[in-house]
Amino acid sequence: MIKECLVIRIRELKLNTNIWAMLSMVSILFITLPNLNILSNVFNEPNENWLHIKEFLLKEYVINTLIIVIFTGFFTVVIGTSLAWIISIYDFPLRSFLKWGLILPLAIPPYIAAYTYTGLINYTGLIQSTLRNKFNISVNQSYTDIMSIEGSIFIFTMFLFPYVYTITRAFIAKQSASLIETARVLGRSPLAIFWFVILPLSRAAIIGGTSLVILEVINDYGVVQYFGVTTFSTAIFKAWFSLSDVDTAIKLAGILMVIVFGILLLEKILRGGKKYSYTTTKVRPITRIKLSGLKSALAFGYSAIIFGLGFLIPSFQLIHWAIITYNKVFDAAFLQLMLNSLLTASVASALIITIALIIANYSRISHSIISKIIARLTVMGYSIPGAVIAIGVIVFFIAIDNNLFWLYKWVKEDSVKLVLSTSVFMLIFAYVIRFIGIGFNSVESGFEKVGKKFFEASRTLGMSVTQTFFKVDVGMIAPAILTGFILAFVDIMKELPLTLILRPFNFETLATKAYQYAVDELIQEASIPSLIIISISFISVYLFHRVADREEN
Amino acid sequence: MYVEIVGLNFRYRKSHDKIIKNFSLEISSGEIISVIGESGSGKSTILRLIAGLEIPESGIIKVKNRIMVDETTFINPEKRGIGMVFQDYALFPHKTVEGNIRFGLNALSSQKQKIRVEEVLHLVNLTAYKKRYPYELSGGQQQRVALARALAAKPALLLMDEPFSNLDRELQNKIRDELKILIKQTNTTTIFVTHDREDAKALADRIIILNKGEVVKTGEAKVALA
Repeated sequence: MIKECLVIRIRELKLNTNIWAMLSMVSILFITLPNLNILSNVFNEPNENWLHIKEFLLKEYVINTLIIVIFTGFFTVVIGTSLAWIISIYDFPLRSFLKWGLILPLAIPPYIAAYTYTGLINYTGLIQSTLRNKFNISVNQSYTDIMSIEGSIFIFTMFLFPYVYTITRAFIAKQSASLIETARVLGRSPLAIFWFVILPLSRAAIIGGTSLVILEVINDYGVVQYFGVTTFSTAIFKAWFSLSDVDTAIKLAGILMVIVFGILLLEKILRGGKKYSYTTTKVRPITRIKLSGLKSALAFGYSAIIFGLGFLIPSFQLIHWAIITYNKVFDAAFLQLMLNSLLTASVASALIITIALIIANYSRISHSIISKIIARLTVMGYSIPGAVIAIGVIVFFIAIDNNLFWLYKWVKEDSVKLVLSTSVFMLIFAYVIRFIGIGFNSVESGFEKVGKKFFEASRTLGMSVTQTFFKVDVGMIAPAILTGFILAFVDIMKELPLTLILRPFNFETLATKAYQYAVDELIQEASIPSLIIISISFISVYLFHRVADREEN
Repeated sequence: MYVEIVGLNFRYRKSHDKIIKNFSLEISSGEIISVIGESGSGKSTILRLIAGLEIPESGIIKVKNRIMVDETTFINPEKRGIGMVFQDYALFPHKTVEGNIRFGLNALSSQKQKIRVEEVLHLVNLTAYKKRYPYELSGGQQQRVALARALAAKPALLLMDEPFSNLDRELQNKIRDELKILIKQTNTTTIFVTHDREDAKALADRIIILNKGEVVKTGEAKVALA
């Protein structure tokens, strides 16, 4: 029996060892090496900087990060689930517009929202100057100080709650029409149903959405740095840029990575093994309750206020600034940085989709455990904060440059030592690690939808795995490939922490330029690059929404 | 013997129970064999093993004296020259009827491909539907395209997995008779799997009854099903 098993495993291994397996393994090696590098260097001999940080600052980083994570988590759950419930079960004016509009805050990256709100409510901003000039009211400045921990929590909540909202709403729509009706027939009020039926049932969905929010918060650098709040991300930046201390940066990054793994583990435990999978049978839509009078006004008012704060107000403010500044901002240099953004994002997304296709195809065909592990590792990068990946990639590339110096000199006698680690190649490499998960998920679900029968049919008709891939698979999952490309592209366009650390000298993208303007107190000038980023993000939000909606119907 | 299967055993990963236990079968050229059994009896797995879509734990499969699989050999499905009609046909939705049939004729020149497509389309009586896409065809027409696609490359052996399960009763009887004439006309050695005794009786020269991965009865249609 054991011998038989072994013979079969060896045979499977032989049959599975093909170009797809090789390429997958090489890809995953490059994807994971920089991160493993960090973990292996965490226990290096500590230096003075580290001892200083550990003694005086580490506690603050941990506490600040935790406060922001916990409060943002709490508020996004409250807002996200309550909106999901209201939109799912009640009918009130503009409901169908708000159902989709409430996803839109996701199109505004939190760092853009941060300086937009700052510009909006500071002393010279629209609100205070209107109050002062028109009504002669001056506001106590301590009430309007958004550049604080509380301000960060506000920004993260308003612009990340759609993660909880969309996942929970989709869950309610798919799972519970009959449950809600049963509970109603049993004489429970809608509020009681929400508390005792929907909330416990949607636990996994809510936790899934919240953990996405938390990972985004931990990943953020732009908001907290702009607001002057010290967190792990800002500390890693400081260690690298101000102290030029890689070892300390690695130690901080290592701790942050452990925290992230802790959160992922917690998510698993809280979900209790339940994935928010949907029943496959066709689901009846919920019959909504029509609200009138005060109740209707309340439901509309609440949703509209959140929509206003999370999308409408900052968008109008940005458009207003854009009208004032466009002729100052648009010039040849601006075109150049737009080109930079488009080119790096296109190249990185194309690489992401290529690698995602290779690994997804391999893990689909092979039944081996290795292929399953590779698939899981591929999506890991998306949970790891940008600053951590950045430090891992830097260390990795400097090591490569050190080892390839002989080659550089052989090619060009007076070559400098750092070639790859000062090039845009390093940035693109990091983008691939960070965002391959998005491309992979898209491609993988495309393969899942199509199933294996066409692949098998093609094999019996005389086509090899590779021929089948090009002649059948690519054509059949083309929509998934396109979606994956666009989602990765948009995320790269918005990306800030990785880009700030890894970009070559004088290399600006839309995101870094917008951020630079804001840091230089030129908030109004930041509006044009910001609006471009928001318009592009809009596409991804739209795609996401359309796919979700189609699945719902 | 044209097809020789000796001592075939198979189990899925992580599963303790064998799906196929010591399965042996010999088929002469041009014969039509029907494997019948309840769902879960392992009948589809036998087809998948012969096609090369699954790897057996042990056993030998030979077709036309060529070893497809034994202890040391495993020929990939695309190299076996065995045609298969899948239960739900698996017609490529992004290719026309013609594109589907041409798909398996890669080895031929473009000219010869065209001639062969016309031949098999004529055989299954679908010449007028050449440019249609699968979704524009009825269930019976789709089934004929799948058959034409499998026959186009003149396979050494034709496998059919529940070929009638997606058709309504009336159509089923009609197509069954057509199919028998077609297979005999082309003298294609065929194994088809079904749960329906009527199908087996009408089509097969010989019947294998399978239960929990084991052959429980074998013989001429009338005898085995008596």
